[in-house]
Amino acid sequence: LLLLQLLANGIINGCLFALLAVGFALIYNTTRVFHIAYGATYTVAAYLCYFFLVRMQWTIPAAIGGTVLLTSLLGVLIQVFVYAPLERKRASLLVALLSSLGLDVVLVNLIPMFFGNETRVLRPGAEPVLTVGPVFLSGIQLAVLVTAALLLSLVLLLLRYSRLGSMVRAVRDDPILAVVMGIDQGQVRLAVFAAGSALAGMASILTALDVGVEPNVGMPALLVAAVALIIGGVGSFGGAVVGGFFLGVLQSLIVWRVSTRWTDTITFTLLILFLLFRPQGLLGTRHRLEEGTG
Amino acid sequence: LNYLWHILVLISLYALLAMSLNLVVGYTGLMSLCHAAFYGIGAYTTTLLMMRADWQFFPALLAAVLLSGLLSLLIGIPTLRLRGDFLVLATLGFQVIVFSILYNADSLTNGPYGIPGIPTPRLAGLEVNTPFRYCLFAGAFAGALGLLLRALVMSPFGRVLKAIREDEIAAAAMGKNVPALKMTVFAIAAAFAAVPGALFAGYLRYIDPTSFTTAESIFILAIVVIGGAGSLAGPVIGAVLMILLPEALRFLHLPEAVAANLRQIIYGLLLIVLMRVRPQGLQGKYGFD
Repeated sequence: LLLLQLLANGIINGCLFALLAVGFALIYNTTRVFHIAYGATYTVAAYLCYFFLVRMQWTIPAAIGGTVLLTSLLGVLIQVFVYAPLERKRASLLVALLSSLGLDVVLVNLIPMFFGNETRVLRPGAEPVLTVGPVFLSGIQLAVLVTAALLLSLVLLLLRYSRLGSMVRAVRDDPILAVVMGIDQGQVRLAVFAAGSALAGMASILTALDVGVEPNVGMPALLVAAVALIIGGVGSFGGAVVGGFFLGVLQSLIVWRVSTRWTDTITFTLLILFLLFRPQGLLGTRHRLEEGTG
Repeated sequence: LNYLWHILVLISLYALLAMSLNLVVGYTGLMSLCHAAFYGIGAYTTTLLMMRADWQFFPALLAAVLLSGLLSLLIGIPTLRLRGDFLVLATLGFQVIVFSILYNADSLTNGPYGIPGIPTPRLAGLEVNTPFRYCLFAGAFAGALGLLLRALVMSPFGRVLKAIREDEIAAAAMGKNVPALKMTVFAIAAAFAAVPGALFAGYLRYIDPTSFTTAESIFILAIVVIGGAGSLAGPVIGAVLMILLPEALRFLHLPEAVAANLRQIIYGLLLIVLMRVRPQGLQGKYGFD
């Protein structure tokens, strides 16, 4: 029975991780930019939501809508003002990574100047608890489940069947050939930054509504997204979803055996094991991680 | 005046950290984000050996250097063959694991409460206990290790490292054992990083895990990149600049909380701007192409 409850918690966490991982994968698989500031995007989203909900007293739907919109815009601005100029200079991806690192530091340190360092709670009061069969779920957990199911299927369906989706996949598979075929790479990049950042924002809002937010939530979120991406298989969007759920469930089950404070250690031990024994991830693709200098 | 010596001690420590990381990042072209982990391993090993086993500072320092070098094999062997961005993630992972061990292994490290009352180092019967003495002490270390690193990068070994940075496949084709060389340089840098760790512990006489966070690793990398990767003077210039710049902010009399964030924002912006206009840093030879 405890196992079932843990499994349920793991799946809920897996939903959040999968959202994060797919957002990260959209950006990474298509642009190959290791978007460290994705973590900062996540943090900013939670604070925007806090700002709208608590300071401006907006309703929850309005706050969520506004936050997702602005987060998406932030992603686009980052692409336009930070990565696109580097791209035009044909700077290496390591240069982009270092810029991203700088950007992350800037954004994460701007937040406490406006909102302080302490944990902010978005909604007061305890959560009503629902009993679904043998397991207990809070309202927000249910919301996570529904939102994630909708968004994840939407993203995967769009990627498979829409025109934009096939453009994204084309750029992922071969950027040069995609351009030759008349695909506007700049447009695709803007689209993935907008969509990826919005997904990070959504995951962030859902988490913040549940447990509140403090300035350092971004880095763990980025790490989870990147690790899930690798576990699932770089280059595959479905893989990122699988990786997210795998990580969520596994973390939750391990909590059963050891204390929560070793969660990070376990995540990264897993990462290193995967890099060592199955670098192509669960849903392996042909990309090899050790090739090239990045 | 003590304030001046304090600043110089800090510059020596960060110059040591940046110089050793530069060996990996600047000369060999491997991006690593776990230098603060080795810094922490150095600090904690020295401290624990001095306090729990009553070792003297120098033998404890030596043991810390060896341990840090050995532990670097643990992360280096599985990950050094990875491409740039995955190496960053893997080293970041190691950083998080080490931090979490320092933070959570209460019985060994006293967890978040840290370890107070660390004895000061003794040199020839003399306690190195004033800021001035410590400044000379740390400065001597920085100078000596700087000369050692200079000899290292100018040696044939140093040339092979640069060859790996410029073209790994060509270096391998010339008969160089690239994985072994990468591992060697990574271990050397990790061992070196233990030295400022030990000096830091002996200086502040108190350590806790918050000095060895991911943010610290990012900061050390930023020093190398801003100063100039792949040059001898770069890390030193970077360390001087990055320590002095925030100290200058002190004279603006901002509230401490704002100043701390502002410091970080400045170096983040510096990183973004430099990457745009001058990726090789102020004094660098290597622009991460």
